[in-house]
Amino acid sequence: MRSPFGLLLAGATTLAAAFLALPLVALFLRIPPGVLLDQLSSDVAREALVVSLKTSAGAHIIVLLVGTPVAYLLGTRVFRGRGLLIGLVELPLVLPPAVAGIALLAAFGNRGLLGGSLEAFGVSLPFTQAAVVVAIVFVSSPFYIRQAAASFAAVDPLLLDASRTLGRGPGRTFLRVALPLAAGGLAAGSSLAFARGLGEFGATIIFAGSFAGVTRTAPLAIYAELDRDFDVAVALGALLVVFSIAVMAIMTLLLSWTRSSSRSPFPFASSISDSTSA
Amino acid sequence: MLALVAGCGSDGGEPLTVYAASSLTAVFEQLAPDARFNFAGSDELATQLREGAQADVYAAASPRYPGELHEEGIVDEPIVFATNRLVMVVPAGNPSGIRELDDLAAADVRLVIGGEGVPIGDYTRELLARAGRPDVLERVVSEEEDVKGVLAKVAVGEADAGFVYTTDVRAAGGDVEGIELPSELQRPIEYPAAVVREAERGEEAQRFVELLRSPRGRAALRAAGFGLP
Repeated sequence: MRSPFGLLLAGATTLAAAFLALPLVALFLRIPPGVLLDQLSSDVAREALVVSLKTSAGAHIIVLLVGTPVAYLLGTRVFRGRGLLIGLVELPLVLPPAVAGIALLAAFGNRGLLGGSLEAFGVSLPFTQAAVVVAIVFVSSPFYIRQAAASFAAVDPLLLDASRTLGRGPGRTFLRVALPLAAGGLAAGSSLAFARGLGEFGATIIFAGSFAGVTRTAPLAIYAELDRDFDVAVALGALLVVFSIAVMAIMTLLLSWTRSSSRSPFPFASSISDSTSA
Repeated sequence: MLALVAGCGSDGGEPLTVYAASSLTAVFEQLAPDARFNFAGSDELATQLREGAQADVYAAASPRYPGELHEEGIVDEPIVFATNRLVMVVPAGNPSGIRELDDLAAADVRLVIGGEGVPIGDYTRELLARAGRPDVLERVVSEEEDVKGVLAKVAVGEADAGFVYTTDVRAAGGDVEGIELPSELQRPIEYPAAVVREAERGEEAQRFVELLRSPRGRAALRAAGFGLP
């Protein structure tokens, strides 16, 4: 590492690490820890956290239930239009959240494409907690589906074939072979999507509005409190940082667990992969 | 004097930097096309100035924040240069048929107002209290961070009504309709401007504030729908 190139690498890395860590550290130094904890128990913070957890959990259930079969299809089947479908599924990853918000309004708003049909059923999405859930599903689902599809694709197809030849239907093969083998990756994608959902801001404020106790999630509360009570904003921010770090840690653990566990949860499965690789 | 203001920035230095309430966007850009503007909620701008933002002039939609900043030694004595009125807005065509304050109490009305601590939000709450209709607040479905947020939710038709400044209705063009509110419920909404104490271009800042009170400034403000002090 003493070569000029080595020094360059070390220098760039030090710079990057300092740049990324400094704002987060500064957030915690901004107010004393005691005040930070105090602020977290304030009504504003508690209300926002409850809204955030409720909507994120609701959205996450939908993402898992619908996203898992989609990811399985994308990860294990080759069909016409697959590339297009992958592009569509992943688009929200790169779409500015504000655009997602306007797009959701254009589709599901009271004057949107489906607004009239929804109204016929007595449903009006904007300004409701359901709207927050819709916004979160829209922006966070790609994080799960992407990772889940990759995990399903990494499952040895010979194992799935073996399961089928041994008389298991496709549904049972999915449940008993593919799902357990991909579980670690699915969980990692799941935590990433949950974290992204919890941080959702742009689409929510445009599509769902901001009302304490109903649609004002933690990120929206940070924005609302910025000019009212800066300490609450900082405290909520710090909490979200802690949460993000926890998600990263869980994800790393889960991914390393998959790598070791995909070798041997099923003796039968591992013997096949051993024999094929031998 | 106008030439001096209009010519700021032409000497190659940084242009005059003005932090102003969103509702002043059109008229300020017209008065000083060469200046650099930061238009946002008055409260948000005050936070930025407290955090050390570099600005020369601060113009707010409420005396509260310039007053606070003056006490904190961040800006000079604020001078009121315009006044505004609250007005109710409904989407173009008024689909919900809202004509007056009392109509807002209907159960299916979706009302959008400014949040607490945001000038437009505080004025709205004050007006409803004075009208004896604080119950209308139960129809609020969203509390926005600035006038723009309120106006946008009404303009796209998601909200049935909202409260903004009368000048915003003109700025929004044909997307919303304004419904005047009784004068006795209103109190004059004062817009003060102040030179930032650590302004890099203090003299130009002073001239900009004077421009706002000059005949040309007053004419432009009046044309935009502002009242004059």
